[in-house]
Amino acid sequence: MTSPTERFAAARWQAVLRSRPMLTVAMVALAWIGASFFQPGFGGWRHLRYLLELAAIVGLVSIGQTLVVVAGGIDLSVGAIVTVSAIGVPLVTWLADPTGTAPALFILLCATLIGALNGLGIALLRVHPMIMTLAMATFLQGVLILIAGGSAISAQNAVLSWLGNARPGGISASVLLWLLASAIALWLLHKTPFGARLFALGTNPLATSLSGIGVRSTTIAVYAISGFTAGLAGALVLGVNGQGYVGIGDSYLLASIASVVLGGTSILGGRGTYAGTIPGAILLVTITALITMLNASAGWRNILFGTLIMALLLLSGRERQRR
Amino acid sequence: MTQDAIVAARSISRSFFSNRVLNDVSITLRAGTIHALLGENGAGKSTLIGILSGALAPDAGDIDIDGVRHAAVRPAIARAAGIAVVQQELSLTSQLSIAENVGMGALPRRLGLIDYSALMRRAHEVCALVGLEQDLARPVGDLPLGQQQLVEIAKALFRKPRVLILDEPTSSLSAHEAANLMAVLRRLRDAGTAVLYISHRLNEVLALCEWVTVLKDGVVTADRSLGGVDAQGLVRLMVGREPGDLFPRWTPSAEPAPIIAVEGLSAGMVRDVAMTIRRGEVLGVGGLVGQGQEDLLLGLYGAIPAVAGRAEFNGVVGLPRSVPQANARGLAYVPADRKREGLHLIHSIAWNLMIPSFGRAPSLAMRRTASERERAIALADRLGIKGDLTREVQALSGGNQQKVALAKWLPSDPPVLLLNDPTRGVDVDTKREIYALLRRFAAEGRAVVLLSSDTPELVNLCDRVAVMRAGRLVRVLERTELSEEAIVSAAMESAVPGAAA
Repeated sequence: MTSPTERFAAARWQAVLRSRPMLTVAMVALAWIGASFFQPGFGGWRHLRYLLELAAIVGLVSIGQTLVVVAGGIDLSVGAIVTVSAIGVPLVTWLADPTGTAPALFILLCATLIGALNGLGIALLRVHPMIMTLAMATFLQGVLILIAGGSAISAQNAVLSWLGNARPGGISASVLLWLLASAIALWLLHKTPFGARLFALGTNPLATSLSGIGVRSTTIAVYAISGFTAGLAGALVLGVNGQGYVGIGDSYLLASIASVVLGGTSILGGRGTYAGTIPGAILLVTITALITMLNASAGWRNILFGTLIMALLLLSGRERQRR
Repeated sequence: MTQDAIVAARSISRSFFSNRVLNDVSITLRAGTIHALLGENGAGKSTLIGILSGALAPDAGDIDIDGVRHAAVRPAIARAAGIAVVQQELSLTSQLSIAENVGMGALPRRLGLIDYSALMRRAHEVCALVGLEQDLARPVGDLPLGQQQLVEIAKALFRKPRVLILDEPTSSLSAHEAANLMAVLRRLRDAGTAVLYISHRLNEVLALCEWVTVLKDGVVTADRSLGGVDAQGLVRLMVGREPGDLFPRWTPSAEPAPIIAVEGLSAGMVRDVAMTIRRGEVLGVGGLVGQGQEDLLLGLYGAIPAVAGRAEFNGVVGLPRSVPQANARGLAYVPADRKREGLHLIHSIAWNLMIPSFGRAPSLAMRRTASERERAIALADRLGIKGDLTREVQALSGGNQQKVALAKWLPSDPPVLLLNDPTRGVDVDTKREIYALLRRFAAEGRAVVLLSSDTPELVNLCDRVAVMRAGRLVRVLERTELSEEAIVSAAMESAVPGAAA
């Protein structure tokens, strides 16, 4: 028998440095350093902490999006689920609880079930993920308009407003939550058989099914996870803002896809890591902050995001040719 | 001799990245000649074809076409010169009909629109020529692999080529269809077509070809007439050493009690099949291409919906309802189209070897890198997969890919192996290894079901051969009655009215 070192070439540090996640980290650093020169307040601890708080919400939504994209799908309902969660918590009045934990948990369960429903449609009815999740988003938006109408719904939820505003030891609670969730997501993706199944499914669904992996259960589970993380992000949005309204989650859909793609996860599935999505999310909120700093119109932000995603997808289009 | 040369390539070299695939290779294709190109997997055959047909440009060397010198053949030049290629990797569009695929790129036009009646007429001619009896409006994706290969050949013939290059055209054809193809090729030769024929089936090469060029590691090791060369001599030319026997010695190891018994099994094309599979035997499944053999395996494996009057699998009554259930009952399946159905090409060898265990293990169990590496190395050693196991599977030769597709099942120690054409597109050396492995599995008390389009394989390896036609199991030939003739005639016999089983 040959030795492990002979059969497993060590990863070269040059390759790690040249990887897409590292490239994204470098872009974030460059943006921060560059911006600090033009605007003295930009690089300050308080401002950076504020950026990280914004990134935490995008990052949470992107956990589910990363897993779904790795598994070869896409979830277009995350924005609507964020809104469901932000509006839903104050509506769950019958679960009155001084800490506000029970309504929050109940809404997280609902968000997970909505995600599982996406998965059911995709796995059992074989609806294309894009169609299934888009239909789900449209449906949810309709329900929300009926329930909430055009007005904002305020909430008094102790747990969520602590999560959204507290800074134990100077570090934001939301960032700590994101750190914890990120660790779990990375463990799930790279250290468990479930994560390996996601990569297998995203690479070649037919071979995966013939290899004895339960494609249906895996699909349902991954969309349920995406529903859960979007719901968690929505609860955090509510905690930060103190109120929810229809459309509050809309911007997180494109942001989640953009941070996944920025982080080097292949939009074709089968390749990627949440370790890239984390700097991807930070880069996105940084770009937004830069545009605000320059007093440019919000239109520019969307133009920039759209261009960025298209440019990155062009790159992965080249990848498709190599497959 | 040189005046009838249509294509003459001189001193061709080509590298991929830093890997030199062809080194100073010359080859001349002459009108009215069937020319064999031999070599093991990875010898550079496909690269050479790519260069001759304009899909790739050489790094050095030049190519004369009809006496005109080109530094590289561009696709347009190849098309104008009438060079057509039947690829090993099928290049069909699965949603389009047979006729549309056949005519693709050379569709007859009228007033700028596709002239469908002309297309149907001409497509029908070439399909009849290769022996494809199908409704030409059917989407190609519905056809079994072997018939797709016939479509691929018909597509090349549709262009009325002057130079026809065939890359393993018979790799999933049965003996009957292969014989039919050879008759077509002889007719084309007599009409003055230059044919370049690549095959791992040496008896075909001997029966068909007049001239042979042998490639080994990107260099021409022989370029000579095939007169007076026998099969052993051909292998010697290819491998560069004395060939041993291709097939291992057959020793009986079958146990009398069946491990799988089904009656009235229907699945996909399969109708009302009764069969038993025993431990310790290699059970062959043969017949013409696309008679439901693949559906039989998939039905047993729980991969397509199936019903049975009575079924018993490894002591459990009833058919497996899903692949995980079939795995739990000790079945493993190795698909024919390993790139599409068997492997995760962009991932590493080691990772591919672990996939079935990812399916079996509890979802949230911790993966241990060290133990995964140990298991991967043990598997690789067992099947002779050499080198760095972090390489992507798509970088491997066909033979090594097949070994990975087979090896990944061994950790669960499955008592029943369902193998769908495991030696398709595999070089001679790997074939020999796989044959020995199959007999070893049988000797260890496993049941091996070998679906094969290669009849000598069935004759030399199997204890029994089940022959299928039109979805029914028409004959089970015992070891004593096994011969290529017996299998072919059983495959054909129920075509005679009144003789149906």
